[in-house]
Amino acid sequence: MRVTSSMMLRSTLRDLSQGLSRLQETQTKLATGKQITRPSADPGGTSSAMGMRQDLRRAEQRSRSLNDAQGWLETADVALTSALDSLGRAKEITVRATNTGALGDPVARQALATEVRSLRSEMLALANSTYGSRSIFNGTADGAAYDATGVYQGNDASIVRDVAPSTSIAVNLTGPQVFGTAGGAVGDVFETLDRLANAIAAGDVTAMATEHTNLDSFRTGVGAATVEIGTRSARLADAKTRSEDSRLLMTTQLSEVEDVDIVDALITAKAQESSYQASLQVAAKILPPSLLDYLR
Amino acid sequence: MASLSSLNTSFSGLNSQKRVLDVIAHNIANATTEGYHRQRAELQSLGRSATSGVFSGVSQSYGVDVSGVTRAYDVLLATRAVREDASRSAANMMKTSMATVEGVFPEPTDLGLAHQLDVFWGSWTDLANDPGGLASRTQLLENADGLVTNLRRSSNDLQAISDGATARMNTIAAQVNDLADQIGNLNRTIGSSFGENLDLLDQRDVLVGRLANLTGAVARPSDANGIDVYINGRAIVSGTIVQRVDGTTGPLVWMSDNAAVNPTAGEAQALTAVINDVVPRYRARLDDIASTLVTQVNALHTTGYDQSGTTGRNFFDPANLTAATISLSIDVAGQPANIAAGAPVLPGPVAPGPLDGEMARRLAALADSATGADTKYQSMITTLAVETRSAQGRASIQEQVADNAIRDADSVGSVSLDEEMANLTAAQRAFEANARVITAVDEMLGFLIERTGVVGR
Repeated sequence: MRVTSSMMLRSTLRDLSQGLSRLQETQTKLATGKQITRPSADPGGTSSAMGMRQDLRRAEQRSRSLNDAQGWLETADVALTSALDSLGRAKEITVRATNTGALGDPVARQALATEVRSLRSEMLALANSTYGSRSIFNGTADGAAYDATGVYQGNDASIVRDVAPSTSIAVNLTGPQVFGTAGGAVGDVFETLDRLANAIAAGDVTAMATEHTNLDSFRTGVGAATVEIGTRSARLADAKTRSEDSRLLMTTQLSEVEDVDIVDALITAKAQESSYQASLQVAAKILPPSLLDYLR
Repeated sequence: MASLSSLNTSFSGLNSQKRVLDVIAHNIANATTEGYHRQRAELQSLGRSATSGVFSGVSQSYGVDVSGVTRAYDVLLATRAVREDASRSAANMMKTSMATVEGVFPEPTDLGLAHQLDVFWGSWTDLANDPGGLASRTQLLENADGLVTNLRRSSNDLQAISDGATARMNTIAAQVNDLADQIGNLNRTIGSSFGENLDLLDQRDVLVGRLANLTGAVARPSDANGIDVYINGRAIVSGTIVQRVDGTTGPLVWMSDNAAVNPTAGEAQALTAVINDVVPRYRARLDDIASTLVTQVNALHTTGYDQSGTTGRNFFDPANLTAATISLSIDVAGQPANIAAGAPVLPGPVAPGPLDGEMARRLAALADSATGADTKYQSMITTLAVETRSAQGRASIQEQVADNAIRDADSVGSVSLDEEMANLTAAQRAFEANARVITAVDEMLGFLIERTGVVGR
């Protein structure tokens, strides 16, 4: 094949520019630290990177929901444990009031009745526990769950948090679920405590015995609610662990797809650089000579 | 006696070598001229007397003549080089345009639409977690606004690429018309000039090459050394008659009847594809994403309740279903309290409590919808990535093919200085040898003139 200097010039220029553009590509990767600087750099990688980024952000979102749910459940747990204590104390007071000694002493009975009433307002305060500024036993209604007289203000809506892919946990119990439904023979815990205080004040042993039984069933109810909250907390803790694990895994995977292997890129850059320099040197050597140089 | 005829023979040699030298000088002078094909003086021995010599009694005589100057031009290789170079132009322009389109979507980064969609859905979750807080509502509106702005910007950026291509097409139309004019003029000059003017042929080939790089035009020889130039089968230059094209509205059209030119290669082909296909296609996909977003979000949002128990409000303006126009509805824009976070309580439906976040939760779940905006956007980016990638691949393959074709054509036509130097030396030596013959004949004649008739003096 006939080769002329203009052909060599053309191909040398092309080789040089190709070498330089390869070098520039590697430099960009090194400078950004990203393997995929634009979608076309790796269509498959882009697709999976986008998927992973989405998953990761969803996971971050869910972990915010998880923390929120945890706050709800912890607040409920504290309130319910205290409520159990209060109910236990109410029972003790009832037992003391049925003692013959106390039964015959109106002053002592009044004191015990007052104590029961104060327990009732303690229970009411517990039922109005808030997380943030929101009553946790209030359903989706605004304001306090119970008013000062012990009437439930909320609704029976359940509040749900998404804590894992297609897994949601209800974070609330409504007032009636924990403290009983108002009205009827037994009513809720506040009505019961009211009646108990009155019975103690009046020294009505039969009524005291009835309310004692009622208190027992309320204790069972609150106890069951505590267990329920505990179970949910455990599920939440599981979900949280899994979420942290998978976030870590996803971050690692994303980095594998997206991030540049610095060592590899550095070596590539070095190799490309020396090959570019070599072609520059060769170009400088081969381009000038021609027969012209050897003729006088 | 043939000695005087030798004078003529050598003289013809001197003359011819001088012509050879002229051609070599021309070659060297044009060694870097674009489109120049090296020329060669064709020498031809003369079997008869170069000039009828008065003294050459014998009919047998010798000499050399330049029978013509030819250019080293292989029509097959040259045509192939022009064609492949035109395809290279198209492939390169396509590659550049696709890179620009790709640049509209900075993925995978935190600046892209995918991230903004995620943030938007995330805001719904935050609202579900805190339906009573003004902060979460305001945040949601701001993120929705950011998303809407980004969609509009992307759509407008795509349109701007198309507009840029149209502007470029306008320039191309002007260039095409100018080139066609020049080719027509050269056809006239070449047709009317006496003999072959090789340099004009080269010039015309260069113009055809430029025209091909713009439109994929092909040249076919016609009578009187003229050429006709066709774009997609229709003549733009026919002898000296030139047709005009127009690019003011984007894709090139013939001025005479407004029919589409449909260039087969060259920059115009790629730009036509950008204007007619690439940009509309990706804009349509963005529109699909926008309308999916509007429809899906509104479908849920209109059934939701805000804190005051009002229902039936749109989140996005249901009339604006394209990416370029998508906007928040007047019901919620700037009025965070009107966002419907609550879901109706069934049966009824009746309004939920003011702190219900169930509808916000359902809206947030749209993020994972298989027919949702996120999925559609991801699939669009994948398509774009693959298409850009293959445009790059085609461009680099075509680069190679065109380089080879040009190299093949160059290997025939381009000036080799070494070769010219060798030829120059040969011509110089031949010139000197011819001069030497003339000297020899001169000496012989001188000898005769001085010595003849002086015997015995």
